Amino acid sequence: MYGLEAISANNGWAMAITGPLIVMSGLTILALIISQLHKIVAIFDKKPDSATQSAVEDKISVPKILPDNILETADIYQALIDKLEQPFELKALYRIAEQNDFPHPILTVGRFRVAGILVPEGEGLFVWKR
Amino acid sequence: MELFLQFISNTGFFLAEYRNFVMIGIGSLFVYLAIAKEYEPLLLLPIGFGVLIGNIPFFKGFGLGIYEQNSVLHYLYFGVTTGVYPSIVFLGLGAMTDFSSLLARPKLMLLGAAAQTGIWATLLSAMALGFTSKEAASIAIIGGADGPTSIFLTAKLAPHLIGPIAIAAYSYMALIPIIQPPIMRLLTSREERLIRMPEPRPVSKKEVMIFPVVGLFLCCFLAPASIPLLGPFFFGNIMKESGVVDRLANTARTAVIDTATIFLGLTVGASTQGDVFLNAKSVGIFLLGAVAFSIATASGVIFAKIMNLFMKEKINPLLGAAGVSAVPGSAREVHLVGLKEDPTNFLLMHAMACNSSGVIGSAVCAGILWSFMM
Repeated sequence: MYGLEAISANNGWAMAITGPLIVMSGLTILALIISQLHKIVAIFDKKPDSATQSAVEDKISVPKILPDNILETADIYQALIDKLEQPFELKALYRIAEQNDFPHPILTVGRFRVAGILVPEGEGLFVWKR
Repeated sequence: MELFLQFISNTGFFLAEYRNFVMIGIGSLFVYLAIAKEYEPLLLLPIGFGVLIGNIPFFKGFGLGIYEQNSVLHYLYFGVTTGVYPSIVFLGLGAMTDFSSLLARPKLMLLGAAAQTGIWATLLSAMALGFTSKEAASIAIIGGADGPTSIFLTAKLAPHLIGPIAIAAYSYMALIPIIQPPIMRLLTSREERLIRMPEPRPVSKKEVMIFPVVGLFLCCFLAPASIPLLGPFFFGNIMKESGVVDRLANTARTAVIDTATIFLGLTVGASTQGDVFLNAKSVGIFLLGAVAFSIATASGVIFAKIMNLFMKEKINPLLGAAGVSAVPGSAREVHLVGLKEDPTNFLLMHAMACNSSGVIGSAVCAGILWSFMM
């Protein structure tokens, strides 16, 4: 048996409609749950202890939009670099930038590399040349 | 003299037929592509060499061939026919996967669901071409672009097709750089390819630890037949994310998955004996596999464009192509196509989110197809 007749005989139409609906609804529900997960986790999280509190207070202030001039942006990043021991790994710089709510750290670090401000020293380590 | 002639009549040179040579040619091509072009060498080298082993002609009845009881290859092939190797591969895959980019942007999970459309479209096509419903389901899962899932489902529904389906699935995974980019370019405008994705929010350790539990319950309650794949997958992931069993997680993502991959590839390759493999059905499976993979890629991209009609914050539709579960090949390809348009637009992290969602989606599809056929 071939063609549409074979599809009907094998119950193909029903499978081809029901199957994707189940997958789509299952993954949509999963997406909805994980989109709320951080809120649920926050509810169960304890209040920040004194160490966390002081870390929050130590945050470096940063403008919401960084200047287009890479050298001016580097000046803003200097406060972060001062906290790192040279040479450092890029993930350490990303982490500290994220902790201080610096906007788009991955893109900015990419620009620093292109501008020659972040220079690779080998073995995954970088130095800040400013 | 008689003994010598008898010996000669038992050699591979005497027993060979044209189909063996065709398959040896295909196996050699796989080995060449793996070594010289570095196309998915982790898959193509074991499979290609397995094809060479499986197509050396031998005297039937000695317990040498993969389909002969008590042969060494037959015992190794047991892991394929029972679905053991795919489950072990999923364990290692889970221990490698980082879901944080998916958790930061859960909407991308829908692209992993949309890209499974290729599976359902191919199911209909295979039925229309005269394959039985079980064979059609096994062929259709190639559209998920997931080798272990294809092998697992085929082992359960149509074990006689494991060879061609596994070869087709892995071949198309290796051919991602050739198949996907033209489809992506055809379905998107330059402006769409230039869309930048905002930086994902930071994800807490607790979220990444809770996700495998939530994912396991939801997916496996929905499609219990996907337990053999998603159970080990989420277990591997929680081992990685919990950080309390680093030794186990490390072993799962290195030695365990590597061992399973070696035997899976080698035995699947060896199962393609020319006399069993080269027939009209195999040709049909290859053609349908290409259709499945292309539809999967296209449906992911088109769904991303549809999402953009309703969303304030647009997503780059190229990401839809990473909704197939070929990890990390399709994510890498999306990233490269994005980079060609704008060298500062890094899509890899976002594409990995779609890719990991595709792994879950295709395993759920396999579970659903299996339960439909019960």
